[in-house]
Amino acid sequence: MTRNSLKSAKIGSHIFIWVLIVFTLFPIYVVITSSFNPTGSLATSSLIPKIWSLDNYKVLFNNPAVPYLTWVKNSVILAVANAIISVFVGTASAFAFSRMRFKGRKLGLQALLLVQVFPSFLALAAIYVMMERVYTVFPAIGLGSLGGLLLIYLGGSMGVNAWLLKGYIDTIPLELDEAARIDGASSFQVFWIIFFPLAAPVLAVTALLSFIGTFNEFVLASLFLQDVHSRTVAVGLQQFVGQQFGQNWGPFAAGSLLAAIPLVILFLSLQRFIIGGLTQGATKG
Amino acid sequence: MYRLAGFTGLKAQIFKIAFMSIIDALLIWMFFASMAKEDSSTLSAVIATIFLLTNLVYFAKFTLPLKFLLPGLILLVAFVVVPVVYTVQMSGYQYKTGNEISKTDALPQIQANGLVLDDLAPTFDLVLGKVDGKWAALLTSQIDQSVLLSTEEKSTVLPAGSFTADEFGIARQADGFEPITEDFAANNEESIINLRFPYKDASFISPQGLDIAAVLTQTLVYDKDADTFTDTLNGVLYKDNGRGNYAAESDPSITLTPGWRAWNAFENYTKLFSDPNVRGPFIGVFIWTVSFAVISVMMMFFVGLLLAVILNQKIALRRFYRSILILPYAIPSFMSILIWAGMFNRQFGAINALFGTQIDFFNSPTLAKMVILIVNLWLGFPYFYLISSGALQSIPSELEEAASIDGANGRQIMGKIKLPLILQILSPLLIASFAFNFNNFNIIYLLTGGGPTNVLEGQTAGATDILITYTYKTAFGSQEQNLGLASAISMVIFFIVGSISLWSLRRSKVLETM
Repeated sequence: MTRNSLKSAKIGSHIFIWVLIVFTLFPIYVVITSSFNPTGSLATSSLIPKIWSLDNYKVLFNNPAVPYLTWVKNSVILAVANAIISVFVGTASAFAFSRMRFKGRKLGLQALLLVQVFPSFLALAAIYVMMERVYTVFPAIGLGSLGGLLLIYLGGSMGVNAWLLKGYIDTIPLELDEAARIDGASSFQVFWIIFFPLAAPVLAVTALLSFIGTFNEFVLASLFLQDVHSRTVAVGLQQFVGQQFGQNWGPFAAGSLLAAIPLVILFLSLQRFIIGGLTQGATKG
Repeated sequence: MYRLAGFTGLKAQIFKIAFMSIIDALLIWMFFASMAKEDSSTLSAVIATIFLLTNLVYFAKFTLPLKFLLPGLILLVAFVVVPVVYTVQMSGYQYKTGNEISKTDALPQIQANGLVLDDLAPTFDLVLGKVDGKWAALLTSQIDQSVLLSTEEKSTVLPAGSFTADEFGIARQADGFEPITEDFAANNEESIINLRFPYKDASFISPQGLDIAAVLTQTLVYDKDADTFTDTLNGVLYKDNGRGNYAAESDPSITLTPGWRAWNAFENYTKLFSDPNVRGPFIGVFIWTVSFAVISVMMMFFVGLLLAVILNQKIALRRFYRSILILPYAIPSFMSILIWAGMFNRQFGAINALFGTQIDFFNSPTLAKMVILIVNLWLGFPYFYLISSGALQSIPSELEEAASIDGANGRQIMGKIKLPLILQILSPLLIASFAFNFNNFNIIYLLTGGGPTNVLEGQTAGATDILITYTYKTAFGSQEQNLGLASAISMVIFFIVGSISLWSLRRSKVLETM
């Protein structure tokens, strides 16, 4: 390769990267400036705001028609509960698949592998009718309730989580549990005392991925949660900005920014583990 | 040493029994609550099964793996497998607006719709009571003050003097007739509304409240043996058309409401491929779904891989670039999509402000599609950068050295050695990503809502609708809700995504190494 072509390749690379950076940052810039733009509408928003104020943030906390904090609370409850329960239950299943030999194990694994490629909302019409029926008997876990939505999420995340976690448990050396067994530990003790602490980092990452996934989920949440006070952030903000794109843009931008910042910080600080988890599950599956 | 963990022996036993008692109590309560309701036998059966399984698995000794698997299994079966099975079942029914209930529920409603108030017959003042412990009524005609004593079997005219009337001439008491108390009436409103006292032929007297009754004529008469309805006013015969409605024999387009969900086997599927009103939009949506998924994955992969190649070299500010460029992956995607939707807004959007234009991106099918692809690229390239970067680093450097010793230049090493290897490593992920985008509901629904849709031309699908958003519109649309057809489309998606995934798994040989 000649000197010249090497140089032009380098310049080309830099141009490419800077174009991509502008592309990446543009919406982020827009949402930050809009959130501080006091007029609250898109109409007068120029690309460089002239006045800065916190009016849009005040709408989120003072306007009873926009129960932003309730939405955040609902999202956090759903996401945390789903993350903890699904990781716990998923680890138990993954442990059985990884460490025990039983009839139907291979078939079970194959079924699990197939199930996890389907998003649970594919059967949305059926889920809707089913949960409508459940509602008539148990309103607390039927259509319109956070409890019912949580159950659907739990079912949907079982396949992926069990599969990811099994991949990890497979990498924990067998000698560890053999040693424990020789010392007289039962399967439950091996699981609870040896595996849980060992797998803690991976469990945290799986829980985090689960958390982000639930936080982002829109289809089922919008189908399920019709009442304004039971909405999640995703459904709440969508309905809010969807009514009047021009009118509610400023508060929407503020609300998005507030909800996104903790997640972005969490993601960036844990990115090494998350990416490790992604590629591990991927190259194995 | 395990005793130190505090979770053995007696303590563990007590904990287990306490925990199981709570679960059992909950399940038993749920079972009886469910049994108490009508129409919930399936739910009761599910709860009973869960109850039996949990107790069997956790108290028997032979089921060790199941002790670990059961909670996950129950959740998976109840909330993933059951809905899928239910989808299969629903796809075989004519199940849409107007045909939502079962036939047993529809029959009484049709009959109730066939009731007509008889204008020529008198209205009656009503005193409700019992004769020999059975419902009866003293009815005083508001026209000629004649009095009827009716039971549900027969009505007899009472001659004057055989009853006691009040100052308004309304009969209050008669031999063998015991009036009911107001409390009793209030507690039995439901059965009172359904009382029918014989009048003439197809007409009967029906309470319209607690002290008034009117004559109703059943104009639609149900023949149980022939399963037909006859309209007594014009003699039209309505027959079960096998598609969830009673249709007039002379003109099948006239049907009685409500309909019911009727079994129609594969009709929803054949509709997808033969009914022009359904096939047209379905095929259009299908083509766009596939092209959207393929183009998206290709664009993301191209940008991501190029970025990985560049950032894998030692260039200045590498870490800084990297942390900025993975931001789209860290921001919750529903927010990014809504933000982009605002930015492409015609009047107020930042894009139009930037270029000083007034382009209506979401009103042109081509522009709307381009917007979707651009936004999807923004959302997806960081992920592809991350996985390409991982794949690049996993290629042993000896390969590169050996090739350069043999005289290959940088471009040759990239094109002939690295790229094929990367493609091989990443192909399962590329396929998974295709499957994900195939069902990428959020980007379509939140960005364009599937539009633009030409409602004037009666289009049911928008220009940017993909199969999953089209399913959603079919099932929960504002005009008509067709759950049967929506389930059939769901099944088509299941089939496509399932086969692609199976094929990909076969290729990667995961299935054999389990």
